[in-house]
Amino acid sequence: MILKKEFIHILRDKITLLLVLAMPIALVLLLGFTISTEIRNARISVYDLSKDSYSKELVEKIIASGYFQVVSFPETESEIDRDFKNKNVKMAIIIPSNFEQLLEKEKFVTLQIISDVSDLNVASILNNYLRSVISDFEMDYNQSSTGALPFEITTKMQYNPESSSVYMFVPGIITLIMIIITALMSSITISREMETGTMRMLLITPVKKIYVVVGKVIPYMMLSFISTIFIILISVFVFKMPIEGNIGLLLFVCIIFMLASASFGLMISALVKSQLEAMMVTMMGLFLPTVLLSGFLFPLDNMPFVFQLLADVFPAKWFVILLKDVMIKGSGFREIWLYILILFVMAIVLITISLMQIDKRRKK
Amino acid sequence: MYSINVENLTKKFGDFTAVDHINFKVKKGEIFGFLGANGAGKTTAMKMMCGLLLPTSGNAIIAGYDMHTQSKQIRKNIGYMSQKFSLYNDLSIFENMQLFGTIYGIPRKELKDRIYASLKELKIDNIANSLVDSIPLGWKQRVAFATAILHRPQIVFLDEPTSGVDPIVRREFWNLIYETASTGITIFVTTHYMDEAEYCSRISIMSNGQLKLIGTPDDLKHRMGVESIDEVFVKFVQR
Repeated sequence: MILKKEFIHILRDKITLLLVLAMPIALVLLLGFTISTEIRNARISVYDLSKDSYSKELVEKIIASGYFQVVSFPETESEIDRDFKNKNVKMAIIIPSNFEQLLEKEKFVTLQIISDVSDLNVASILNNYLRSVISDFEMDYNQSSTGALPFEITTKMQYNPESSSVYMFVPGIITLIMIIITALMSSITISREMETGTMRMLLITPVKKIYVVVGKVIPYMMLSFISTIFIILISVFVFKMPIEGNIGLLLFVCIIFMLASASFGLMISALVKSQLEAMMVTMMGLFLPTVLLSGFLFPLDNMPFVFQLLADVFPAKWFVILLKDVMIKGSGFREIWLYILILFVMAIVLITISLMQIDKRRKK
Repeated sequence: MYSINVENLTKKFGDFTAVDHINFKVKKGEIFGFLGANGAGKTTAMKMMCGLLLPTSGNAIIAGYDMHTQSKQIRKNIGYMSQKFSLYNDLSIFENMQLFGTIYGIPRKELKDRIYASLKELKIDNIANSLVDSIPLGWKQRVAFATAILHRPQIVFLDEPTSGVDPIVRREFWNLIYETASTGITIFVTTHYMDEAEYCSRISIMSNGQLKLIGTPDDLKHRMGVESIDEVFVKFVQR
């Protein structure tokens, strides 16, 4: 009955409903198309001092790679500087004079690359692209000439062969959405009833407290489950993300995580006094750690030990691991049961604490 | 036959004693007024009687059930209504009554009949499907009251049921209370309006956690040698 009532609440509150269902989709699409660690058509300038056939070949190769777009061929060094400032060039390549001669005779060429490192990520990605283009060029040259041993660089990219950024952030988005909907909404809905006093009406009735809480939380769990399915569908069909593992297992993992984050929301609502407080505490105490400590934006391995320990306490970290394992690596239940257990135990502990807290209110 | 029998009920919050060994009995069908200044301990006492708070010591028999051991039976047999804490604004009148009726375990078919019967009595059956948010405060209170007695409790607790409405609506509300009491339901009401206290069968006045005065309104006026309960209260508080 409380369940039905809560559904009516949600359905009547059209704005929230729209927000809860549309936001995740918008967020995934937005991030999917914007946050991309791939860079195409980066603006560069080439200061070619030799202008011979080899140097032209190199420049053509750079352009053909698709990563770069040569926007200017400066004639002096000071022009390079101007390009950086005026033409928004990310990188400049200086090809020394006598390029052909150096290649043919000395077998040793020094190319100078000037990068705009005001954006570190872009700079290092471009650097890597350029390196691979140059080693390509080197290979071609070796093959066509005297038959000197072509050297080879091979990198095997595992699990994310295209280095697609979608793989990185879809698990993160799912985690965030679930935290927002389940934890935030359930802490708000409970503290709202405490605030308006309708919770007192419910507690006076013969209904058991646990039913009141469960009845209130389940609709939000279902909502976030629907959102999650949407996100997964979008990432599979729009961004071509694979699901290597079992879909049933994936959904099961989602449900366990929802349980854990709903219990987090429950505990928060049992500790605070108002909706506003519930919102603030959820945002600061759960949302931020999820973004910063779940390992989907910033690698956990590089963090100080204390923060790594802290990350263990929040369910998000484990869920991100689970999602990546199931979706990308295709792990089965046998490989991941420990993480599932951790989330489950968290949920149990949190629910127990919050029920004790509500009971304490009565005794106090 | 007493509906409420409170014995040495005490509640301490740390060093502060909110309710200090209060004793009183309320007869079946009585309208019992529970008066006191803000912070006198009325709400705390009422919360304990409704099972929202556990007493530090003492006991009470509510509707024939022991407060400590039979709190579930007590909950089934009491109704509660408050002006501040009442209904869900985004549910309709009918949905609100249906929700609480179902929680109290009234069978579906009978519940519908009861809801329409009580709404008819209040002459608001034509707006049963309006959202509570959209109806005037006076009506909300009547709906809340009807909801509180829908499961036919033995006792109904009213926590300042009429604050914030005009005298005419208050008078109508009290007519409703009289009707309900005449069916044998005990009414336990807190109020700040001294004219309302005159309508009660008996009243009590609390101060600093203790029950200082108890009796019929006439009896108290007589004892204090004044004309109205208002004067009784003022005189009492000044002491």
